[in-house]
Amino acid sequence: MSVSTAPARTSHVNRISAALAALVAAAAFAGTYLFDPVPPGLPGLGAVEFPRLICVIILGLAVLLALQEPGAPDPDNVAPDGPALAIWGCCLLFLPVMALVGLLGAGALFLVAAGWIWGERRIPLLLAVSGGLTLALWLVFVKAFRLTLPGGLVFGG
Amino acid sequence: MMMVVLGTVLGIFVGALPGISGSTTIALMLPMTIAMGPIPAICFLGAIYCAANFGGSITAILVNAPGDPSASATALEGYKMAEKGQAGLALGMSAVSSAIGGIVSVIVLIFAAPMLARAAYSFGPPEYFALALFGLSMCAAIGGDSAAKNLIAAALGLLIATVGMDLTTGVERYAFGVMELSDGIGFVPVLIGLFAVGEMLDQAARRYGKAQIIFADAARVPGWAEMKKCMRSIWIGSGIGTFIGALPALGATTAALIGYNETRRWSKHKEEFGKGSIEGVAGPEAANNAAVGGSMVPTLALGIPGSATTAIILAGLIVQGIRPGPHLFTEQPTLLYAVFASMLAANIFYLVMGLSMARLFARISLIPPAFLWPAVFVLSVIGAYGPNQSLGDVYVMLAAGVVGFLFRRAGFSPAPLIMGLVLGGMVEETLKQSLIIFGDDAGSVLAGFLGRPIALVLFAVTAAGLLWPVAARLFRGRRAAQA
Repeated sequence: MSVSTAPARTSHVNRISAALAALVAAAAFAGTYLFDPVPPGLPGLGAVEFPRLICVIILGLAVLLALQEPGAPDPDNVAPDGPALAIWGCCLLFLPVMALVGLLGAGALFLVAAGWIWGERRIPLLLAVSGGLTLALWLVFVKAFRLTLPGGLVFGG
Repeated sequence: MMMVVLGTVLGIFVGALPGISGSTTIALMLPMTIAMGPIPAICFLGAIYCAANFGGSITAILVNAPGDPSASATALEGYKMAEKGQAGLALGMSAVSSAIGGIVSVIVLIFAAPMLARAAYSFGPPEYFALALFGLSMCAAIGGDSAAKNLIAAALGLLIATVGMDLTTGVERYAFGVMELSDGIGFVPVLIGLFAVGEMLDQAARRYGKAQIIFADAARVPGWAEMKKCMRSIWIGSGIGTFIGALPALGATTAALIGYNETRRWSKHKEEFGKGSIEGVAGPEAANNAAVGGSMVPTLALGIPGSATTAIILAGLIVQGIRPGPHLFTEQPTLLYAVFASMLAANIFYLVMGLSMARLFARISLIPPAFLWPAVFVLSVIGAYGPNQSLGDVYVMLAAGVVGFLFRRAGFSPAPLIMGLVLGGMVEETLKQSLIIFGDDAGSVLAGFLGRPIALVLFAVTAAGLLWPVAARLFRGRRAAQA
């Protein structure tokens, strides 16, 4: 499988990261106004002071980061192409499929689908690895560690 | 001895699995130890505890997916070494330094337990707050492109730690009516997401073929030159791990992260850090295993667990009819000798097993990515779901995976976020407790902290650690301008 040939991103990474951090801090600060009020008479700090302090610190650090010189773009930071987005999509679909066929069933399907998209074209090998790994996971986690894994609609649980 | 061997094998295995930590395994095995006598039971549980910390480094080094939270610092340098084809050497150094750290802490445990317990007893909320602040200040230098990015990540970790019910006031914060968020966000799903899933998403975007995987050299005992290079790091890690392990509630993860930073601070080869430094593997691995022995100090000497895992071991001792405390040293020395001996034996066993099986472990790096990374994802889902059997944790893991991917692309290190999340609760609670002790006005708070020498020393070291690089840079700039 060859390296993805999507172009590398140009880098204003510091400013974008700083903006995102500031956005998160601002949203979190605003969120503190939705907290229930603290019962009167309790000593010491309330529930809002510490999160607000952290938000202010993040805002300050974001300003510092935005003022830093941007580094050179990393040539290894290739943009995700179609197959990469498809693999990410499989990760997102994992949970709804798990609700249907359970965690082990979703895992087996994911191993085949993601492996195929990743570039493995030997179907028998994909199926064998998927089946073998699923069996191993069942033996270790369900039988040995006695974990109850979701069975989904099809397999119950 | 059979129990020690069984515990060691089980500990290495579960330590390597993301999400199934030593504490989870000890909790699962506890009911089985009831039928054993007290000595076999404590030997079995102690061996699992010792070996799991080492086991976590295996996947941390090979696939950047720490099997145990305490191996998150090891992943920073160990994975970079694996990418350079030095997986075997990294695993070998991990095994050796883990064993040395573990053995040093057991020796300290044998000779200095009552004294260390008294020192730990003198730590109150102000001292814990100062220590937590010191730990967070270390984040400035842990990986990543810049101190600002690392501190932002640490602060985000602190913010995430505020999600859930505030213990002091009972107010729900950032829960938005979602029941799963009322209990807060656990650091295991965040850890798995940031490291394992984030790496998987990044690998999917790059999709290097098998040719990109550099052949791993065979695992080997590090040579004399490598040991000489790393001995300072190992001693630093062992000392830090033993001390931090002895303080209740901190644990191996904190010890490993502080151990990594101190190793870097005192290294003569700072330029190697971030690119696969063998010292960056040795230091945190010695620290996290030294924390094991250290955490047994307050557990055995005071009956106060030094970590979550020792809390479970304490429960195991009580179930066996043993009540730890100062009297244990005089009334039941046989049990204590068994504990010490089993921990020493476990350290030696996992050293031998780690070195002999590391060649096998290193072959993981030769598995085609099309099989390896989807398997890592499935294992991560199970690892996130397993501890609390909560789908909410799986959602958290996925969200953390996205954050982990974005961190990688933006030059942020994931370790400071984990540090902030681990220490966040303690920072807030000890700050609140300190303010209650000293009073609310600034003057009395200042006077209060000035009266706590241990806290003062820690504040001074924190300030020096943060300001020294800035001062050094200004000084160098002025000299360059004059020249």
